[in-house]
Amino acid sequence: MTYLDKMMPGQCGKVLGFTDDSPVARRLLELGLVPGKQIAYLRNAPFHDPMEVQVGPSCLSLRRSEAALVAVEPED
Amino acid sequence: MSRGVAADATSLTYTYQVAICGNPNSGKTSIFNAITGLNQRVANYPGVTVEKVTGRFSVGGKNPQRFTLVDVPGTYSLAAFSPDESIAISALSCCVDSQKRPEAIICVIDATNIERGLYLLLQVLEIGRPVIVALNMIDLAEKRGIRIDFEKFSHAIGGLPVVPVVGNRGKGIRQLKEETAKLVDAPSGAFLNRLYDEVTETLLAKLQTRFGNNHLTRAEYLRIIFDVGGPAEKRFVQEKGDEARTVLLQGRAAIKDVWYSLSAAETTPLTGKAAEISRLVLKTEGSHEETTSEKADRYLLHPVLGLIVLAVTMIVMFQSIFSWAQPFMELIDTLFGGLAYWVETMMAEGPLRSLITDGIIGGVGSVLIFIPQIAILFIFIAILEDSGYMSRAAFLVDRMLRWCGLSGKSFIPMLSSFACAVPGIMATRTIEDRKLRFITIMVAPLMTCSARLPVYAIMIAAFIPYKSYLGVLNLQGIVLTMLYLLGIVVAVAVSFILSRTMLKTKRSTFLMEMPSYKLPMVKSTLIKVLNRIKAFVVRAGSIILAITIIIWALSYYPRSQEVRAEFGKQLSALEAEYTAEKSSYKARLTELLKDQSVEATRIAGGIFKAFAQVTEKTNLEELRTRLTAENPAQKEIIQTSFELRSQEMQYDEAKTQLVNRQAGQHLRDSYFGRIGRTVEPVFRPLGWDWKITMATLASFPAREVIIATLGTIYNLGRDADAESATLVNKLRQAKWEVGPKAGKPVFTLAVALSVMIFFALSCQCVATVVTIKQETTSWYYALFAYGYMTILAYLLALVTYQLFAGMGV
Repeated sequence: MTYLDKMMPGQCGKVLGFTDDSPVARRLLELGLVPGKQIAYLRNAPFHDPMEVQVGPSCLSLRRSEAALVAVEPED
Repeated sequence: MSRGVAADATSLTYTYQVAICGNPNSGKTSIFNAITGLNQRVANYPGVTVEKVTGRFSVGGKNPQRFTLVDVPGTYSLAAFSPDESIAISALSCCVDSQKRPEAIICVIDATNIERGLYLLLQVLEIGRPVIVALNMIDLAEKRGIRIDFEKFSHAIGGLPVVPVVGNRGKGIRQLKEETAKLVDAPSGAFLNRLYDEVTETLLAKLQTRFGNNHLTRAEYLRIIFDVGGPAEKRFVQEKGDEARTVLLQGRAAIKDVWYSLSAAETTPLTGKAAEISRLVLKTEGSHEETTSEKADRYLLHPVLGLIVLAVTMIVMFQSIFSWAQPFMELIDTLFGGLAYWVETMMAEGPLRSLITDGIIGGVGSVLIFIPQIAILFIFIAILEDSGYMSRAAFLVDRMLRWCGLSGKSFIPMLSSFACAVPGIMATRTIEDRKLRFITIMVAPLMTCSARLPVYAIMIAAFIPYKSYLGVLNLQGIVLTMLYLLGIVVAVAVSFILSRTMLKTKRSTFLMEMPSYKLPMVKSTLIKVLNRIKAFVVRAGSIILAITIIIWALSYYPRSQEVRAEFGKQLSALEAEYTAEKSSYKARLTELLKDQSVEATRIAGGIFKAFAQVTEKTNLEELRTRLTAENPAQKEIIQTSFELRSQEMQYDEAKTQLVNRQAGQHLRDSYFGRIGRTVEPVFRPLGWDWKITMATLASFPAREVIIATLGTIYNLGRDADAESATLVNKLRQAKWEVGPKAGKPVFTLAVALSVMIFFALSCQCVATVVTIKQETTSWYYALFAYGYMTILAYLLALVTYQLFAGMGV
């Protein structure tokens, strides 16, 4: 298990859950980062932040500090 | 209550309330536009900065049912953490300003992302009103191989209608309207799901029975329970007191015992149910091959290439704003100038004429002059938004703007403010985070807008020597660049401070969806632009006009009769003198022509005409020399014509001077002139005399007014403009009238710099102040922006003057 901000661009994985109960975590869930879903880390913005991920049909952008809340089981 | 009967009895006048909600980027607005067309009204929700758009439509031919459709701001969920966000739930379940619940709700779901739409739909169903599901972008879904079973869908949500729609092409809109018309009279939502577990339902029932309030829906009770410290909880506790609070807290504790967190207790059943329904209704899920958008993003979001594309886009955009708006702005200027001139010729001189020409026409003109830039900028912004590129631009620059307290979403508003802060401030509406939006609004007016340019142009032309360095750089250009940089540096510093003090953001986020690229629809883009222009003219226009009239009055009154009489006397003396001289010349010409041949008379007529056409004094001399060489015989006639014409020109010049001196004298005597002299000591440390002080005060409505005001005080007439070489000369020649520096030039390099820096940082623009008030819904922020900018401007101008004056320049 790792956290979304620790993954590499191009890597995929499965959302496990969130490290806290904050409104940000909840908003992430509402945007589609539902535990059990496949997640793909697409790319970084210039200067490595924010980052873009894909969950289901939608692409989301989030900052590294937000990505740190997401626990992920990476695929190899 | 039998709503159906009531509606039948009054079907001619009764208007149903319908709300439309959906995820951001679900195409909600395109459906809203397709339903209502141009029948829209934009206002703000009371107390918050969220735009409230309402529209009207009707269904049925002879006895149509009438509807008001409320566009609820796009949302992923009804959970709210800020007043702005809580708008969605209040607009859907109760009583935003009309104190009336919507009788039906249209919930828009993106057919390519059903599961996420279902999450919101399940929450909306708890409101207990009939819901019509509009499954939007069904064409796109089909293209991606997504097949949906509409019957199963409808069945899964208790038989509510599910209408496939393509909003931007108007497909399915008729059916959507008809289904809405059918359902508005339904007694209540047919489907009441019991999604939540025992503990939650128990608490809900307890709150409902013990603190019963028929006005609250299940959805609102859920907000009271789940949004800790949210607006719903606050309102509830305030109304029902401490006992209700205790029950609520105990209930929450019980929920936490079971679920570990409150959030999980709500979201787990919701996501579970959404996934379940989604599995049920999707016949095929669609392929996951890379879409065109994803391919495009590989280049458009590339760290290097992406930034280059963004830079080029921005350059093209701002070039267009300047170059396309210019002719329209000139047209408006000319039209209003012409109108003022026409009124001047139609009316006798007096306060009423001046009020109409300088006050009202000038005021209306100063509002309308902004429209071309606003329109062009908003067309660009609407295209960027609707195409999906806006989110990408924000994504690319977020990191660079974050360290100073801004975010990627501040980018376009800040950049727009280089053209004009008014559209820039209005463009901050795309920033959801309230504090971030306010910081952006506070610093946007520091960007060097186009109205500052004429002020810089004249000051630089007058006082910065034209010196070149290394062949390409010249001092004037360097000073201009420094002034632009000054605005940016101060904006960065101010936002840095604000974001850590007054508008401290707890944890600024950048959660954003990257929508697929779409071709913007002409109609919806135009509707958006029109709505925004209308809002500007109506809201800002009236206040700007009022303030312009006040400033006019202050610089017009009091108008001393003695001054007028005195100048009148001088004018008639001048006229009498001129008339006498003119007739003596005419007599001499007649004398000279008396015994001449027909041919000679004809030549003399030509000479006379040639002189009459000359407008410049130097040309007059030239003409005399040339004509004398050509016709030595007519020497005397040439000389007399020459003298007559130069006399005439001298008279015209003297008359203009007199009129301008009178205008200058009136301005000096006006309240503004007096104020200028009274507050002169305040601005003396900046090196200013009372004329600069007064001109600065008078340019509060619009900073570029200083050129015209300086022109009037230095007796040049109102037509002085930035290219006016005479104003440049007058400024250079201006001398202190009294005091220790009497006789010395007013404008030294130090004074010119302090004036420019003051104008770079101060907020002399009523339109900006009023727009800030409108956008933040509070005079507090408007006055704060005005205050801090003025203080900063004063201090930096002071430091600059003292520094340079100390160096002796």
